Amino acid sequence: MPTSSMQKRKRRNERGLLLLVLASLAFLLGNIASAQIYLPKPPPEPSEYGKVILDNYSTAGPGPVVFDHWLHRSKFTCRVCHVDVGFAMQAKATGISAKTNREGFHCGACHDGKRVFEGKTIFAACSDAANDKQCDRCHSLGKKGARKYEYRTFTAKFPKGIYGVNWEVAEKSGVIKPIDFVEGLSVRKAPMRSREDFAVKAGYSWVHPIGFSHEKHSIWNGCELCHPEIFPTAQKGTIRFSMFSNIEGRDCGACHGKVAFPLNNCQSCHPNGPLWAPGTLPIGQSRKVR
Amino acid sequence: MVFKPKFFKGKFRATIITVLLFLGLAGVCALRASGGPQSSAAQADQAKESWRKEFDSICAKTQDAMTFSQEELTDLIRRCDALLPQIEKLDETRKKVYVGRLRMCRGLYAYVLDAKKKEKK
Repeated sequence: MPTSSMQKRKRRNERGLLLLVLASLAFLLGNIASAQIYLPKPPPEPSEYGKVILDNYSTAGPGPVVFDHWLHRSKFTCRVCHVDVGFAMQAKATGISAKTNREGFHCGACHDGKRVFEGKTIFAACSDAANDKQCDRCHSLGKKGARKYEYRTFTAKFPKGIYGVNWEVAEKSGVIKPIDFVEGLSVRKAPMRSREDFAVKAGYSWVHPIGFSHEKHSIWNGCELCHPEIFPTAQKGTIRFSMFSNIEGRDCGACHGKVAFPLNNCQSCHPNGPLWAPGTLPIGQSRKVR
Repeated sequence: MVFKPKFFKGKFRATIITVLLFLGLAGVCALRASGGPQSSAAQADQAKESWRKEFDSICAKTQDAMTFSQEELTDLIRRCDALLPQIEKLDETRKKVYVGRLRMCRGLYAYVLDAKKKEKK
């Protein structure tokens, strides 16, 4: 027959066990919650992806400018705009204004009313001679029908991937031929020698290894766009890559998740991973990702 | 007694002067076409744009940075540092664009140099 001291000990053990179970549950839930917080958000529709609203100076005048990244990336390399023309990689850091455009910088580097591209003269940005309709081509926020190009029709013949246009295939197949030189601004260089691709070993056992195409990135970006600003060291093992830093816009997240394919597209970096991050389908798309 | 040849007078003299003037004009044109002496304004413009030549020369090599020796990289970094004060004198927009671009070129060379130094260790 159990004594009273044995019963007390049993009760104490039971209470201890309950506390342990509760603590474990709290730990588990906390981890799940933090992982949920750090899952990439569902990206917008491909037509809206990478859209930049420029409203540093124009809000009071003709209204904010809407810049479609997809339109320009189909025609130019990342390098030519972000190195040669000088568009910063951070929002509001370039200092674009009507004055700088008229001086032949920023948008005016190409949009000068003189350059001919694909057989057409490129309209002049912020020209004094422009009428309201012409201004509205760029200063188009909230103005229906003001923009000349629409995503769906413009990219109709482009190869598609899991999320919008597959730009890599588009370039390989010759559908797009991004230009890497702007007369008067770019420096004549010898053609880029292809860089070796390499695999990045994941720091954690549960993460699939990453296949990184150095060749593709260096041809589109040049060397100086990524090094040293985005990837500041060449010593292996010194950068601790993580999805947390990517989602916060650092490392790969400097482009991926903003303008280059979204971080939700797991398989593009982790070939053995899932195709798309579960539960993060683009807004307005419940079944299929275009 | 002063020698005064008769043929330097009248019609012949006028012909000689015309020919000499024509030859002189042709000479000036030839000199300009061959890129001879320019006006001081043109020379000033050229001096003003000399920074651009140096900039192009430095930044044209970025894609080959990995192939350079430590000495070559150090020299390129030195040239970037020497060019910076010239670019800083430019007007606001140019300054912003080209200082940014020079910073990128210099940064890359310093990055590769650093990698090479660490590799040697």
